[in-house]
Parts: sequence; C-alpha cells; structure tokens
Amino acid sequence: MDLKLGSDDLNTCVQCGLCLPHCPTYRVTGDETMSPRGRIKLMREVQLHDAPVTDEVVDAFASCVQCRGCEPACPSGVPYGHLMEQTRETLADSGQMTPVWLRAAMKPLAQPKLLAAGTAALGVAKKVGLVPDRLGLGAADIPLRQEPLPTTGTDVYLFTGCVMDTMQRDVHRAGLDVLTAAGFGVTPTGAEAPCCGALQAHAGLTDETRGLAEKMMRSLAPERPIIVDSAGCGAAMKEYGHLLGTEEARAFSGRVFDIQEFLADHVDKLPEVAPLDLRVAVQDPCHLRHVQRVHEATRVVLQPFVRELVELDDDGLCCGAGGAYSVLQPELAGQIRDRKLGSIDRATPDVVASANPGCSLHLGAAGVDTIHPMELVARALSAAM
Amino acid sequence: MYRYAKLKNRVTRTLGIDAAEVESDPFVAELVDALSPDRVKQDGAHRALLSHDASVFDGGNSGPVVFPETTEEVAAVTRAAATHGRNVVPRGAGTGLAGGAIPLGVPVVVAVTRMNEIHEIDTDNGIAWVGPGVVNLDLTKHLAPIGYHFAPDPSSQQVCTIGGNVANNSGGPHCLAYGVTNAHIVAMEVVLPSGDVVMLGGLDAEPAGYDLRGAFVGSEGTLGITTKIAVRITKNRPEVRTLLLSFESVTDAANTVSGIIAAGIVPAALEVMDQRITVAVENYVNAGYPRDAAAVLLAEVDGLADGVDLDADRIAEIGRANGATAVKLAGSDTERALLWKGRKTAFGAIAQLAPDYYLHDTVVPRSKLAEVLTKTYEIADRYDLTIMNVFHAGDGNLHPLILFDARDEGVLEKVHAAGGEIITASLDAGGVLSGEHGIGVEKQKFMDRMFSSDDLDHQNRLRQAFDPGCRTNPGKVIPTGHSCADIQSLRSVPKEVWA
Ligand SMILES: Cc1cc2nc3c(=O)[nH]c(=O)nc-3n(C[C@H](O)[C@H](O)[C@H](O)COP(=O)(O)OP(=O)(O)OC[C@H]3O[C@@H](n4cnc5c(N)ncnc54)[C@H](O)[C@@H]3O)c2cc1C
Ligand code: SF4
Ligand code: SF4
Repeated sequence: MDLKLGSDDLNTCVQCGLCLPHCPTYRVTGDETMSPRGRIKLMREVQLHDAPVTDEVVDAFASCVQCRGCEPACPSGVPYGHLMEQTRETLADSGQMTPVWLRAAMKPLAQPKLLAAGTAALGVAKKVGLVPDRLGLGAADIPLRQEPLPTTGTDVYLFTGCVMDTMQRDVHRAGLDVLTAAGFGVTPTGAEAPCCGALQAHAGLTDETRGLAEKMMRSLAPERPIIVDSAGCGAAMKEYGHLLGTEEARAFSGRVFDIQEFLADHVDKLPEVAPLDLRVAVQDPCHLRHVQRVHEATRVVLQPFVRELVELDDDGLCCGAGGAYSVLQPELAGQIRDRKLGSIDRATPDVVASANPGCSLHLGAAGVDTIHPMELVARALSAAM
Repeated sequence: MYRYAKLKNRVTRTLGIDAAEVESDPFVAELVDALSPDRVKQDGAHRALLSHDASVFDGGNSGPVVFPETTEEVAAVTRAAATHGRNVVPRGAGTGLAGGAIPLGVPVVVAVTRMNEIHEIDTDNGIAWVGPGVVNLDLTKHLAPIGYHFAPDPSSQQVCTIGGNVANNSGGPHCLAYGVTNAHIVAMEVVLPSGDVVMLGGLDAEPAGYDLRGAFVGSEGTLGITTKIAVRITKNRPEVRTLLLSFESVTDAANTVSGIIAAGIVPAALEVMDQRITVAVENYVNAGYPRDAAAVLLAEVDGLADGVDLDADRIAEIGRANGATAVKLAGSDTERALLWKGRKTAFGAIAQLAPDYYLHDTVVPRSKLAEVLTKTYEIADRYDLTIMNVFHAGDGNLHPLILFDARDEGVLEKVHAAGGEIITASLDAGGVLSGEHGIGVEKQKFMDRMFSSDDLDHQNRLRQAFDPGCRTNPGKVIPTGHSCADIQSLRSVPKEVWA
C-alpha cells in the first residue's frame, strides 16, 4: 500500500547499519525488526512492493520509541522521524494502527481543564493505591493542587502546555524564576496555548496536530521568543515549519527555544552564587539531544550552579519514556529503562537532571531521583538570596 | 534500490508467510523447545529482513531466525539442524559488505546479537573473554577506565560484533601498526556443525598441535559458530598525534604514504580520502576537512611524547616534500575524535551523493598505489560512472566505491563490468582480492583469478573436515565447481520449504 512516503527520503538509506547501536529497541532485543534499518526496509517493502502489512510489520512500527536516536547517527541524513510519523499517519488513517482508545485518551490533553481534573483525580487515586503500577506512574509525585504562575513582563513567553502545566508546575515556576533572574520579563502562555501536539504527532494523528499548531500560532503574539522547558514540546513546536509548510509556520518555529538553549547565551546575566553541593548526572532527553540537538546547552547553564556534572556512558541512548510509549509498550520500555539505570548507577550521581517531564516520570517510577535542570539553578539562586 | 526491485516477488511472498503454515514444521518445534517461543521467529518480517546485510547482494532466503543466549542453545540449534538436514547461517550485526551473512538455501539464521556479555577481563594475561555478540566499540569503551582497548577498529566498530570481526578477519585504520583481527584472537569456543563444542587455540603462547584457531579466523561462518572468544587487549599509548594533510592530487597523497613508510616510521594509521568523499564526510561531521583538496591524508602516530612529536614533524615534512598544500595537527581530543568520526562514517555518508554504491576491497603493493588509483578513475570514466576512493593507505588496502542509482536502466551491468576491471587492475599489479571485508558471495567469482584449481579444492577439503555435510553457511567463499555445496540450487527457493 502507499504509505505516502517521499521516495527520495526512503531511498536515502544505504542500509549500512551504523544507526543500530543508537536505537534503544535494537539494543535491548538484538533484533533487526526492531531497528531503524529494519523499519525503513519494511516501509520500502510495503510502499514500493506492496508487501502485506502483517501483525509483525505493525509491531515493528509500533515498537519504535520515536526517540530519533538514529537520526544524528546516520551519516546519510535519513529523515527517519518524518518517515515514521508519516507511516503511522497513513496506517492510522487506514485503521491499521493506533487503537481507538488511544485516540480517545489523548483528547483531554488539548483541554487543560479536563486534564487538570484528570490529574487531580489520578493524584487522589494514586494516594489511595488505585493506580496500577503498570502505568509507570508509581513513584511519581502527582500534584493535588495548583497555584497560578505570575506574569513578570513581556520579553519572552514561557510555554506551559498541557501535561506539564498540571503535573510539573514547579518546573515552570523554576524556569520563570531563572529567566526573571537573568533579566527577562516572562509571560506564561497558560490557556492561550493549551497543547503543542507532540503526542498526537507521534501517534500519527497529524490532522489533530496541525489544528493545534495553527491554534497556537494564532494566539501567541509575533516576534516574541517562545521559551519551552519540556524537550518534547519544544521539538514539536520547532517542527511546525515542516508540518504546515508555510512561511509563517517556519517563522514561528524559528522563535521557539529550549529554555537551556536560550539561557546558554545569557549565563553571564545570571548572578554568581555558591554552587549546590551535588554531583549531578545529565540525562539528555531524546528530543533535546537527537531532535533539537541543543543538549550541550544544559551543561553550559548547569555547570556554574552545581559542584560536579557527570556524563552518562551510553551516548544519549533513550530511557524508554517516549511520550505514551511507556504505557503502550511497558515491557520494552522497562528493558530500555533498565539499561539507562545501569548507566546512571555507574555514574554514581546524587541526582539526575532531566529536562523532560516524560523522562522524569519514567525514571522516577523506577526510584531515580530526577529533577529539571531549571529547578537546580533556581534552587542555587534562591539559596543565595 | 535495485535489490528491492529484483527481489520484489520473493520478499513480498516471504513477508506474507502465514505463521500457521510453518508451525507444524517439526524442525521449528524443536527449535522452540531448545530456546523459547519468543526467541524463535518465523514470520515474514523477520525472514525478509534477515535475508540482507550491508552489501548490495540481492538477498537470500531465510528460514526461521533464532536468538540464542548460551553456547548450549547454539549447540542445540545446530544439532536440530543436523538431524533435520537443514542449513545454518551465523549472523552478527549484519554489517558485512561481501554478503557473508546472507542466508542461502533457506537456513536457520542464528543471530548471536544477544550473546553480548563481556565475561571476564584478565589484565594479567592481557585478554578478555567475550560473547560473539559483543559490539566491538562497546568492548573498547568498557576497557577505557583501566587504560586498555581492543585494537582492531573497523570503521563499523560502533555496530559490528566481535564474532563478525573474527569471521571476516576484519581490519581497520589502526590495524596498520597493530595487525588485523587475527593477531588479537587467542582462543575460541566453537560449536561445530555437528553440534559438538570445542576450544580452538589457547592461552599458552605456543599451543601444541595444529593452529585451528588460525583456520577459523576469517572462515566467514563456514566452519562453525563461535560462542565465546578470548581476545587480546591492548594498553592505550600515552600520547597520540593526529595530522591532516591536504593535497592537490590523489597521487601526491599516495606518494606521501610510500615516503612515510620508506622513512621507517610506523604510524598507527594512514588513511586517504579523495575529494568527493571528503566533501560528503565534512557535510556530516563538520570536523574541518578541507572541501577543496583533491585528497586528504589522515596520519596518526602514538607512543611516548618525544617520539610522537618527532614522528609528527617528519610526516609533515615528507608531506610537504610531496606537495602537501596544508598540514594540520589536531589540537584536542575532541578535534581528533571528530576527524575519526568523519573517516569512519565515510561509507554511510555516501547516500548524500547517490542511493547505491558498490564497494571493492583490494590490496595492492604500496609502491603501486598511485598507479592503480589512476587506473580506477580511468576505468570509471570509460564506463561513465562516478567513483570515489577512500582507503587504508598504510597497508595498500583500496576501497574504490562506485556510485550509482539502481533505478537507472542497465546501470548495474556497467557497475559490475567496471568492478571486474578494477579487480583485474589490482591483481595485475600484484595485489589480492580482499583486504578485510571477506569473500562472501560477492568476490567468489574472482577467486579463481587468485588461486589455482588445486588451491581451491584443498580449501574446500579443510572446510569439509569441519563441516562434512556442507550445511554451515553454504554457498560462500569457495566458488562453484570447487564448493561442496550446489550454489545454483541454494540460490533458488526449494518448493518444499515454505515460500
Ligand atoms: C559503514 C561500514 C564500514 C565498514 N568498515 C570496515 C572496515 O573498516 N574494515 C573491515 O574489515 N570491515 C568493515 N566493514 C565490514 C563489516 O563491518 C565487518 O566485516 C564486520 O566484521 C562484520 O561484523 P558483523 O557483526 O556485522 O557480521 P555479519 O555481517 O553479521 O557477519 C559477517 C560474517 O561473519 C559470520 N559470523 C557472524 N557471527 C559469527 C559467529 N559468532 N561465528 C561464526 N561466524 C559468524 C557471518 O556468517 C558472516 O559470514 C564495514 C561495514 C560498513 C557497513
Ligand atoms: S538509516 Fe542511515 S545509518 Fe541507518 S542503515 Fe540507513 S543509511 Fe545507515
Ligand atoms: S526513533 Fe528511536 S526507537 Fe525508533 S528506530 Fe530510531 S532509534 Fe530506534
């Protein structure tokens, strides 16, 4: 069947296999059907040679975390992320992938009130032991109550999104404090821009994603930089240009910055304070490292504020969180996380810094003490005051 | 691309294989008993994907695929295959460039990727015991904290397995000073085609008896499956200097290489890339490779500080005497790592230029480097094909790459004809057929240009001493007419076995 993939994109892969070790699912299974090279080849077979879309073919596609670790590893520049998103879109449209319940589950993400109610309910349910640990939410702290974020000026937007807004408001507050300390007036986007569409895009629900992107572009004033403290959201918003293909969308994407990326250029504006007495391991979220490719910024921003930074020894391999992945593919997600835990153990940190809520939740559920880099910086700054 | 077009019917049929159709196969049932249901795959997706490696050979036909985790499991699979008269093909990461892991004759494919444990590091004896599925670079990274590494460093080292390195006797840029894989393999546990488990080689410096270890290294999976390997580990040298020299012609670069060796310097690595490949590489890594040089030479020396500085100076001098337009010394480890990342991803970077490539791997005497290189460009011009050269210059190992787009009508015939002429030119210059990628299925037809008929018959006898039934990776290395296997029929899909 026609997966609607560009034939040049498909043909770019020379099947060299250099991407294999950077793929988390190949790493834990040793199985070619769970590798980028294998998945690309299956796409070719289906699109070019009308091979049947069997259960195993669907499995091969569905087991991809969409971490895009294979992209920077590929010397030929295969646009794997776009190939996989398009494949999922086509298969979702034809009803061969993404079960209906998943689509339904994603609806509330775009409606903050519903989600707020949902997470609060989840928080209560968890407290009384109702949430099955299979969801991977076990050890994570789900807030029961929120306080609104203040507006401190109009230099930059701070994108507060959906999941993040309710589950990680502390992170936004920290980001807001640090940006303010660096001399920027901040406007939290709040309900103006409810959702970036990242999870929908991963699930192949591209029409929904486009709708959300257009809505966001309409509601945020032009010219102002949009600062994002969730790697996944930032990556999605930087892709609007590709997604919508318009000049306007490209311009919008051009003013989206990851918060670490933005601050790396302004560290000198932050006050000099005593560093926190912590050995911090940096866990690069895939969407920061492989998609936005700005992970070095995290180190630049964090270094002055902690005693010691350590690198993990796994070359930025995915932790297995992958948006809804940990819920949809719990077994693989667990195996991938085990690899990451080994790497964290070897680094012997006091705490792990991760700039993505999904990773923090996923690692937190395994008992890892994770914290957003901005929270560390904010903590160091406030300790000095 | 063309492999897909050609394969269309076969792969499409394979992909559609109905699991129920094969479930009743008693051989598969035995495999499931020996391993576990989730590690025996027989669906079309697995079988189609494992019919390929990184070579352009147009695919084989895979039977069931198994993922053993222990020696006992490999032995059980092998015994079951022997009982049922079925073929066996070992497979590592599938990065082979000569089609070695391509299954012929609907064999059970034994993917050893999950046997990836580093069992023991023994610094007293300078060895490490590893599983065959351990990724080459993973071992080196694992050894880094204690100041050692595994010396063979094929450009594919971030992905290829040590089992695959053994089977292909792989080389790499730094094998110039340290020797290819064979020099680093001390002993091996091997599951023979009968299912017996034997130890080849040993930790003694001079093991008694025949050196069967030596016979196994480079046997391309035709003598059995290695399940545990004792490799030599090498101490890291205290100092490294990496130089990048630019030239106005490939000949100048080749002459510099000859000059360096003639001066008695033993560099750790000497690698040359021509302009086309350098530009593609630079697009990917941004390491500071010059885009306007006709050729670059990457030279590395290692050892004690005084010595390496002296050698680096002499290399620069020899380069300049041979027309080097620029000589640059890598200023930091990061810069050095980036230069090597570029060199090591060269083959992969090619898709920026064309969707397909056909890679050769000949070795010529160093003194003939410039001459043979000039010939390769001439041959390509005559066929109206684009050719690039990237090679391990220090040991005369050429990798001429012919670029093409298989969607172009008739291009493949041209590619093969030009390839044949390149090989002939190398052999005429006193060279050999394969430097490091192996013979597999790709270079088989050229074997009789290097070996006499008697040579080939005796090689086949050695093979049959290990594998009397001719069922382990059948149809590889030894060409038709000398092989114990019926290569013609192996390549067709027998009616009675699925598909
Ligand atoms: C981009 C790129 C760069 C490369 N650069 C180099 C280079 O610089 N130097 C070089 O020498 N090669 C190079 N190669 C070729 C290839 O990577 C090597 O030959 C490598 O050793 C193959 O390892 P593998 O694990 O991928 O083996 P596979 O391709 O899976 O198998 C190779 C052969 O080994 C056999 N085999 C695998 N495992 C076992 C086992 N446990 N027991 C017995 N037989 C086994 C297979 O049957 C097959 O015949 C390159 C390839 C690529 C794609
Ligand atoms: S995606 Fe890139 S790295 Fe992976 S096999 Fe294809 S060309 Fe090679
Ligand atoms: S996106 Fe991640 S999981 Fe998917 S193929 Fe690439 S590396 Fe593997």
